[in-house]
Amino acid sequence: MEDYKFLFKVVLVGNAGVGKTCLVRRFTQGLFPPGQGATIGVDFMIKTVEIGNEKIKLQIWDTAGQERFRSITQSYYRSAHALILVYDISCQPTFDCLTDWLREIEEYASSKVLRVLVGNKIDRDDREIPTHVGEDFAQRHNMYYLETSAKESDNVERLFMQIAAELMEQARSKELPRYDINSQNINRRTTTIGDSCCSRSS
Amino acid sequence: MRPRYKRLVDNIFPQLPQDGLVKSNMEKLVFYSLSSPEKLDRIGEYLFQRASRDISRKRNGFVVIAMEAMDQLLVACHAQTLNLFVESFLRMIQKLLESTEPDLQVLATQSFVKFANIEEDTPSYHRRYDFFVSKFSSMCHSNHSNPEVRITIRTAGIRGLEGVIRKTVADDLVENIWEANHMDKILPSLLYNMQDSKYYKDETGSPEVEDKNDPALLADACIRELVSRASFGHVRSVLRPVLRHFDLHGLWVPNSFAVHTFRIIMCSIQSQYSYAVVESLMSHLDENSDSSPKIRTSITHVLSKIIAISAEESVGPSVLEVINSLLGHVRMSASKVSDTEEAQYREALIGCLGEFTAHLPDYQKVEIMVFIMSKIPQGNSRDDSRLQLMLLKSLLTVGKRYTNIAMNTTFPVSLLDPLLRLCLSGGIDTALMVQGILHVLLDRHSNAEKLSRPTLDVADAGLAFEPCSRSDTIFMRKFGEEIYTCLLEILSLNDVTVECIESIYTTLALIAVELLTAHTITAYLTMVYSIQEIALSQNNSLSFPRRYNLHAVVAALLVLVPEIMQIAPLKEYAGKLIGERRSAGAAHLLPELLVTYPGEVTPPAFQIPVNLLVDQAVLGECLQAAGLDTTVMTRSLTHRHSWVESTGVTMRGSVTDLNSTDVESANSTPGLPRKYPEEELSFEAMKRVLADSTEATKEEEKQKREQLFNAFRNTTFKDIVNNNTVRFQVVIFI
Repeated sequence: MEDYKFLFKVVLVGNAGVGKTCLVRRFTQGLFPPGQGATIGVDFMIKTVEIGNEKIKLQIWDTAGQERFRSITQSYYRSAHALILVYDISCQPTFDCLTDWLREIEEYASSKVLRVLVGNKIDRDDREIPTHVGEDFAQRHNMYYLETSAKESDNVERLFMQIAAELMEQARSKELPRYDINSQNINRRTTTIGDSCCSRSS
Repeated sequence: MRPRYKRLVDNIFPQLPQDGLVKSNMEKLVFYSLSSPEKLDRIGEYLFQRASRDISRKRNGFVVIAMEAMDQLLVACHAQTLNLFVESFLRMIQKLLESTEPDLQVLATQSFVKFANIEEDTPSYHRRYDFFVSKFSSMCHSNHSNPEVRITIRTAGIRGLEGVIRKTVADDLVENIWEANHMDKILPSLLYNMQDSKYYKDETGSPEVEDKNDPALLADACIRELVSRASFGHVRSVLRPVLRHFDLHGLWVPNSFAVHTFRIIMCSIQSQYSYAVVESLMSHLDENSDSSPKIRTSITHVLSKIIAISAEESVGPSVLEVINSLLGHVRMSASKVSDTEEAQYREALIGCLGEFTAHLPDYQKVEIMVFIMSKIPQGNSRDDSRLQLMLLKSLLTVGKRYTNIAMNTTFPVSLLDPLLRLCLSGGIDTALMVQGILHVLLDRHSNAEKLSRPTLDVADAGLAFEPCSRSDTIFMRKFGEEIYTCLLEILSLNDVTVECIESIYTTLALIAVELLTAHTITAYLTMVYSIQEIALSQNNSLSFPRRYNLHAVVAALLVLVPEIMQIAPLKEYAGKLIGERRSAGAAHLLPELLVTYPGEVTPPAFQIPVNLLVDQAVLGECLQAAGLDTTVMTRSLTHRHSWVESTGVTMRGSVTDLNSTDVESANSTPGLPRKYPEEELSFEAMKRVLADSTEATKEEEKQKREQLFNAFRNTTFKDIVNNNTVRFQVVIFI
């Protein structure tokens, strides 16, 4: 009947200009829009992905990073299944703000929300935050970590696919026992996705 | 072979999407679904599937047709069967909204609005609007590169939100639209569309004339609708995101948009809840106590713009709550570092207080004045006196809006007493401020301006007055002395200023204009005479110029009284006295009041020739000649000692010998009260006290009788007459 098995809401947060909209565009439309303007309020995209013959629909809410839209963006955290916290690896201040963002997430999002830290713009030469610093931070705060480049399309697909897979696993584990048959299969797949550049700490 | 409903659905689609819906076949489909409504859910489902397929194949023309067909079915269906169909209808709309095509999004919104306008008998309670609120809010923020498309999408978003509100607000069992989750999306989205538009700045232009599709106007209407549906519990959930939005977008300074928004909220909210808006804004002010004074001033201005609308609805404790909260802010501000911005904030607060009280009935204004009075600190520290002045200013603001009809309602003891006390305990500034309040409250015929400083030309001033009412006379007889005492005491203060003397003159002159009657004139003239005595007394250390000022005030009041009471002899006497002062070159004893007088005209204040002074005896004669009731005269005079004493001016015979023995005082049973602290409050103790007291009082009374007896036996007859015959006293003193 429905054209998908699972529906997950993914919300992107982070400072203005770190590339949230570009990540979403790259993933949903396969483009990298040069000169993308600042998002106002909240933008919405949909993408259906397939993981192991299961169709998963991702509702992606791309929030504005600007402070003045905080009240509306916060209201979108609440119903999110996954939050992608984005910073710019070539811009220290965007990294410094992460603790503030985490505080916001603590306050407004569900405690069970899946949190992923993303260092974007790895195509740039003027990196300011080394990978291990981001990784450490993610580990400390119990988040997944991934570095991406929306411009070069590095890891973007992987980011969303991984979230979809993880959320599906979570959803399945809560569902009826009949899904237990598949669980082994899913676990195996998750571990393959979560290799090298992806560390889960819990 | 395919089922019939599928064939019917397929037939409504043309070969080419440009040809549009096949009308005749559509009619067949409608007829079929009406005759077999149980098939509706399958028809809906099938249409949805077809459209989904078309969307993914980007055949938008067919999608539009499918949507159109669904719209028609929705309208044609009877309410009972609607639920079956609505599920797929809404899924279809969601599907279209998920598309990135602006056209489809707008189309979906239009269909949604059509759906929202249908009244369902039994809405489906499991239906969720989460996605719609989220998506429509997102559309309200559309940042499409093409400005026209952007406006279309935003407009659609607002209409969609309006639809959701309409659909959910009426029924408690469907989605609760008032949840913070929804309100936090809806309100910022609407406000965002209003704030950048200039429509609200144009107060005169009526919105009807303007473009119906202007997002700002639509949002405006939507907020009005939302607010008008809010019950008491919801007011807060509406206002919280609004206030937050103003904070985040820095919309308090300048505040024209905030004023506009709160005005429409106040105008559309059910009037019985309007004070909740005031309360919310007030508590927002509390939360902002650390923000810059500019923001606070701005919020206060917004408050004063809307507070008037709520004042009519405010009743009982909520009024005092508002006032109390405002006063709290005044107090808080008074304790802060004082700069111009902070001062502006305080002015704004006081202005707000004035706005609020202006719309209350007069009896509540009195209550509020008493309430403010009770908040005024009596201390003398710098913080205290600053707060005193601020609160008195608030009191003055309220007083200005008050219409005095009867003095005894205007000045309840709980207002008058502390006001007079404050006059004396505070500094000259406080006293001056209190005079201002007295002027405002006393002045029923707008004479204050004409009497703002001592003058001899009252006849030309065109004073307006009417005969004093009975209740006012009673008021004056009750409180006149108290007021006079207080004013006289201020006049004898060492640091009294010209300004202060002038303002006391105004108070006294207003009392004369408003309250002078045959019953109160004697006391009034006695008071005037006492001013001269202060000027002559060597017990105070007034400077010479101030003494001259007082003489001038006496002269001015003496001219004023016969003007009001029409007492010819008194008028004559006043004219004569002024003439003599003039011809003797004693202009310094007449108005105008100067701060300093040139050296050559300043003979020592104690050596003024008798003929230039007011003569008490002559005053008495004037009154008698006018045939005024002497019993009343005497009544007002016997109590005179009470203030004469306190001004420190010794007057012959004003303190009686008998009074000093205190034989008549009812309080002179010292044995009884002293017992209480030692006794515990038990039944036995009470009994003991009662038993004791009779004996104690007996003893006491016996002693008192003896004292009284001795007093009369040992004093000379002359003294007794002096002290007890009031009529005689009048002759002596007046």
